[in-house]
Amino acid sequence: MVNKKIGVLLLFMVLLSFGAKAQLTTSVRINEVLVVNEDNFVDDYGKRHAWIELFNNSAGSVNLAGCYLTNDKNNPKKYMIPKGDVLTKIPPYQHTLFWADNYADRGTFHVNFSLDPNTENYIALYDADGTTLIDEITIPAGQKADISYGLDMDGTGKWTTLTKVTPSTNNVTLDSNAKIENFQVNDSWGIGMTITAMAVTFLGLIVLYLLFKQVGNASIRISKRNAQKAAEKEGNAISTNAGQESGEIFAAIATALYEMNDDNHDIENTVLTIRKVQRSYSPWSSKIYTLRQTPNKK
Amino acid sequence: MLTSILLQVAGASESFLQFLMENIQVFLSYTGFANATSGHFIMLLVGLLFIFLAVKYEFEPMLLIPIGFGMLIGNIPFKDAGLQLGIYEEGSVLNILYQGVVQGWYPPLIFLGIGAMTDFSALISNPKLLLVGAAAQFGIFGAYMIALQMGFDPSQAAAIGIIGGADGPTAIFLSSKLAPNLMGAIAVSAYSYMALVPIIQPPFMRLLTTQKERLIRMKPPRAVSQTEKVMFPIIGLLLTAFLVPSGLPLLGMVFFGNLLKESGVTRRLAETARGPLIDTITILLGITVGASTQATQFLTLNSVKIFGLGALSFVIATCAGVLFVKFFNLFLKEGNKINPLIGNAGVSAVPDAARISQNVGMEYDPSNYLLMHAMGPNVAGVIGSAVAAGILLGFLG
Repeated sequence: MVNKKIGVLLLFMVLLSFGAKAQLTTSVRINEVLVVNEDNFVDDYGKRHAWIELFNNSAGSVNLAGCYLTNDKNNPKKYMIPKGDVLTKIPPYQHTLFWADNYADRGTFHVNFSLDPNTENYIALYDADGTTLIDEITIPAGQKADISYGLDMDGTGKWTTLTKVTPSTNNVTLDSNAKIENFQVNDSWGIGMTITAMAVTFLGLIVLYLLFKQVGNASIRISKRNAQKAAEKEGNAISTNAGQESGEIFAAIATALYEMNDDNHDIENTVLTIRKVQRSYSPWSSKIYTLRQTPNKK
Repeated sequence: MLTSILLQVAGASESFLQFLMENIQVFLSYTGFANATSGHFIMLLVGLLFIFLAVKYEFEPMLLIPIGFGMLIGNIPFKDAGLQLGIYEEGSVLNILYQGVVQGWYPPLIFLGIGAMTDFSALISNPKLLLVGAAAQFGIFGAYMIALQMGFDPSQAAAIGIIGGADGPTAIFLSSKLAPNLMGAIAVSAYSYMALVPIIQPPFMRLLTTQKERLIRMKPPRAVSQTEKVMFPIIGLLLTAFLVPSGLPLLGMVFFGNLLKESGVTRRLAETARGPLIDTITILLGITVGASTQATQFLTLNSVKIFGLGALSFVIATCAGVLFVKFFNLFLKEGNKINPLIGNAGVSAVPDAARISQNVGMEYDPSNYLLMHAMGPNVAGVIGSAVAAGILLGFLG
């Protein structure tokens, strides 16, 4: 029995940890890569190099410290993203950029490898254990200068040559709210929304109604059966309405009990009186113990 | 010599006086009197009216006193000198407290308390009353359709429509997500009309029912077992949240609070949730919502429209609830019929709407107690409005 309980607890914890994982580093995606940077974004040293953009595709902040970036399938731990830098924490649905310049001594965001435009470039992101692959991509050879290769929707979508280079910003710029526009165009009277929403509200509550109707029936049956058993034990017949007593009956019984209990109490005197206690002497009130003793000058 | 000294003293005192006068002028420019506009006075009067209604007529005093006083606080005019005074100034005390409204975490906490103080027995014993709660949500969508025609965009119209759910926390939650700029007006409108349900609802209840219908006696609710009470929040959450995950903050909290109450083993937690916690949050919510009605931000044509639509949404919700019961009765056997006077309780103003059913019912039959029956649709309204808010957020968020 105890083992069973421990098993259930462990299962629960495993399920919870799976749920929690969704908000961790596994949500990060390689989002955009520029292999040949001739006239594009410059780094903090004023230099142009290839870069790799990562995107946090979750609603929680993710810290990449301790994770690994690599361009070598056989060496997943090629570049460890340093710990202790607050900038490695990516806010929800935000980006961060790593410079593939092979100058790791230039700071956290400069990796120890570079990208070669003449060959395929394999790029992978590994979790802090160095074995769990978070995301990987192979960039085709022959990338053109200042044209990036990335996901057509940030964090999701397909890899393609992007029409514009967007370092540290969204690959797709949303300049309108498609949902709202859709409603404005197709449902200007709001009838569609009303029908859909009322249908969903009714559906939810109808299912709840049906479910609790069954639960109620089952409950009545069980209480009848229990009452029947109890009556059989005592050898009494049981009413067919057992278990269906109305709340009013219970209210009447409760009121009667309350009144009876209430009557058991006398009407208590609610007048507060202060009676002075006459006591000639008590060591607790003796002044002699509270006085400071005169110093003994001998 | 003496003359020159006197002249110097006179000169010095003149410049000192000038300095004093300038200081006083600067001080005066900072006072509320110097910065007041007619809008401030209008809002101050509205705040005073709220306090008057609460004290004199006891219209939802728990809400109207904090909101009314909040209006006074929020409409004291001041010079914008970066002193971090106003509710809209980042870093001010009021602004920090207001974050609970802006970020939408006060409403779920209020729902936790509501769950811990609500007895769903009436609903469990007669679950068909859930449908009345669903029908009354038409108030939300009726107002949504009208708001669209008045020129509001769909997300604004949805935030305004939710006033018809008669549920202040839900209205604040949804408007903070869909139309933050209208939140003050929506919150004040929702709470004001919740306080005014005793005035808004009865005429429409009488208008839409016949004498015979008003006298319908409903079967007394059966006793509900402890197991059913414990199952209700669990099944309720799983079902409604799976259907409308966007309503999770509200639904999760209301059912969690109810489980604390009904489980019977977390009495202390339930008492905290329905006592000190909800009281604290109500104070913070009320005062900050009131203070958010700064005349400069609040007194706009949109606010006037929102107030009009809010009243309309309450009327629509009341009518929808009553008419649905009449329609539902067509399919029910004699003896199982529902008194349409409990239809108004489908809005989630708990327990005011149910109390109105009771009061109006007793006008026609003093021995017909509808309160217990009306509590069914009333608490169903809480669930229904949270579901409706979730749907709107899912579609438009």
